[in-house]
Amino acid sequence: MTPLGADLDAFWSGLVTGSDGISMIERFPVDDLRVGRGGEIKKLRPLPHTRHTGCRATQLLLAAAQDLLARAVISASPERVAVVLGTALGGVEQLERALARGGRPRHAAGALYDSPAHALAHRLGARGPVLTVGTACAAGATALGIGADLLRADAADVVIAGGYDGLCRFVMRGFDALRSLTRERVRPFDRRRSGLLLGEAAALVLMTRDDGKGGPKLGRLLGHASASDGSHIAAPDPNGRGLEFAVRAALDEAAVTPADVDFVSAHGTGTPLNDRIEAEVLRRTLGRRASAIPVNSIKGALGHSMGAAAALEAIMCLLASREGVVPHTLGLEEPDPACDLDHVVGSPRATRPRVSLSTSLGFGGCNAALVLEGAET
Amino acid sequence: MTVSLESRSAAAGPANPTPPTGTTVEAVAVLTGWGHGIRALPADAARAAAGRAVIPLFRPVLEGERFRRATRECLLGVAAVDALLRESNIARDMIRGSATALIYVTGAAYGASNQAFIVAESLKQASSEGGLTEKRAGSVVSSGTLHFPYTAPSAMAGEVAIEFGLTGPYGILIGGAAATIDALWQATRLLAGGRCERALVLAVETFEECAALYARGRWLVRRPLVEAAACALLVPGALRARYDAPRTPSTLETLARLRAGETLACAPLIALALARDGGAAGSVSVTGEWRGRRAGLHWQ
Repeated sequence: MTPLGADLDAFWSGLVTGSDGISMIERFPVDDLRVGRGGEIKKLRPLPHTRHTGCRATQLLLAAAQDLLARAVISASPERVAVVLGTALGGVEQLERALARGGRPRHAAGALYDSPAHALAHRLGARGPVLTVGTACAAGATALGIGADLLRADAADVVIAGGYDGLCRFVMRGFDALRSLTRERVRPFDRRRSGLLLGEAAALVLMTRDDGKGGPKLGRLLGHASASDGSHIAAPDPNGRGLEFAVRAALDEAAVTPADVDFVSAHGTGTPLNDRIEAEVLRRTLGRRASAIPVNSIKGALGHSMGAAAALEAIMCLLASREGVVPHTLGLEEPDPACDLDHVVGSPRATRPRVSLSTSLGFGGCNAALVLEGAET
Repeated sequence: MTVSLESRSAAAGPANPTPPTGTTVEAVAVLTGWGHGIRALPADAARAAAGRAVIPLFRPVLEGERFRRATRECLLGVAAVDALLRESNIARDMIRGSATALIYVTGAAYGASNQAFIVAESLKQASSEGGLTEKRAGSVVSSGTLHFPYTAPSAMAGEVAIEFGLTGPYGILIGGAAATIDALWQATRLLAGGRCERALVLAVETFEECAALYARGRWLVRRPLVEAAACALLVPGALRARYDAPRTPSTLETLARLRAGETLACAPLIALALARDGGAAGSVSVTGEWRGRRAGLHWQ
């Protein structure tokens, strides 16, 4: 579920055709905010059994689950099915309702950050581990990593992993107050970049062990790692130490070298600081290869979908492998020399990456990296 | 096409439910609304609460400009790690750097900051509509900048990482006691895989600011709600850890609930402290339940 459309196919076609998912927010008042635009999903029809929840995040998740179940079969007993989800906001919109006059007990329970994950587990009939990862905007990546760990440890046979976050006044007011939102378009790695825009989305993958069973696979998660900056609550470490640690550790776990990396899906928020630091880290970790590896950011098209972002980017990496095309970075027209990398600018690039690196950063100094390999076509 | 991901590493060998090398719980520190350490716990928390729904924990007084702005739960996290280091005679430099992993868990400790932000923003809106005096309006104008960064659960772990210079593997799990079992298991895996030399598992729970909300959701949490901050330091050692989903609570889970009350994510760490206090040097089984799911970790 993304602002580009209600399923995986719409997400991919939107990316490669350069669709812009940013629009004026209509679902709640934004008149009093500096910036009232974002990646809002306009057509979300709550499934019949989710209308009662009233929780946007849960509805997004369950809609994504419906698309997943149309494409994949959960072939494990309920006790062996785990759910691992990343989020930056959880069910916080429910907290606002609970605090309002006349707030109901179900709103209070729904306000917990892990309520949407439990709602999804209930919907899927999953009775294995249900984990909610709170590493802010890196949470989707961490969730996929923990999902792989659960499989390796034989704690589950199937893991439904991913991330989600819904747009609400709570988060719009917060980022508005921090002056992080741009009044212009989102321009990752562009010399004119001036900030991010928020978006909403839910992204899920079905993970299994690599045992040759089941249907066709989209790809493999070869390695993952996370690290803290230990630097600042709301800004990345100026030297990108945590991100560098995560990238090196993920490559190490995947047993690949920079020479093996064919594509980088960058966090690329479009903020002056993030993009410069991220580019520096990629140049340090990938060495001379950095200038020859295609790099993109999909946040120009979707906005920053927070807990869903890294999961969407992981899916995009595998779709790029399958389709032989890397989507371009919407909004990037004049690459910033301080972010000197092989950016995919203007139009998609025809290339079939085998190994991809995806990077993520989040509030509180959270960093995560994934190394993925597309399935052989 | 099935949308799926696979773990190649998982295919490298048969599924292994136990890490290849062992771990040891080197130290545990516990702060609760009952006082400092497990010796402060009553024999029966429900009786000691005498009908109080929440047993609050103090706001630690820590020096520094950063801590002046930090929320109470951030300070409690820092205080718990500080207590662990002091009580175990571990120098701060020992844990500084990328060789120490930090895994933070909470089920509820973001509630206060989220509520504070929502309330402050409501006041701000009222002021813009002329509903507040000029002085009061001025005091809430900066509320977003002040409160918003702390609404993320990652802010608490972030403050701890900044204070102790922790730049290693990092995780944040949201949930009650079962999530802390998951976190302890994650710590054993990071150690077993050589991803770190030591791992801190930290849990913080605060309830007082949102007591009215919990009163409405009584089915979710038991009584008394006892605020707590607890921390365990794991290092490589001789004990193998097994992670599972038991149907019944361990003796330690029952004891921790009886002695401490409802401490959500802190409960398994309190159980570990009780085990150590009881002289358990060998096998220890900790379990934890949250929202109908129970997880267990068994050191043998």
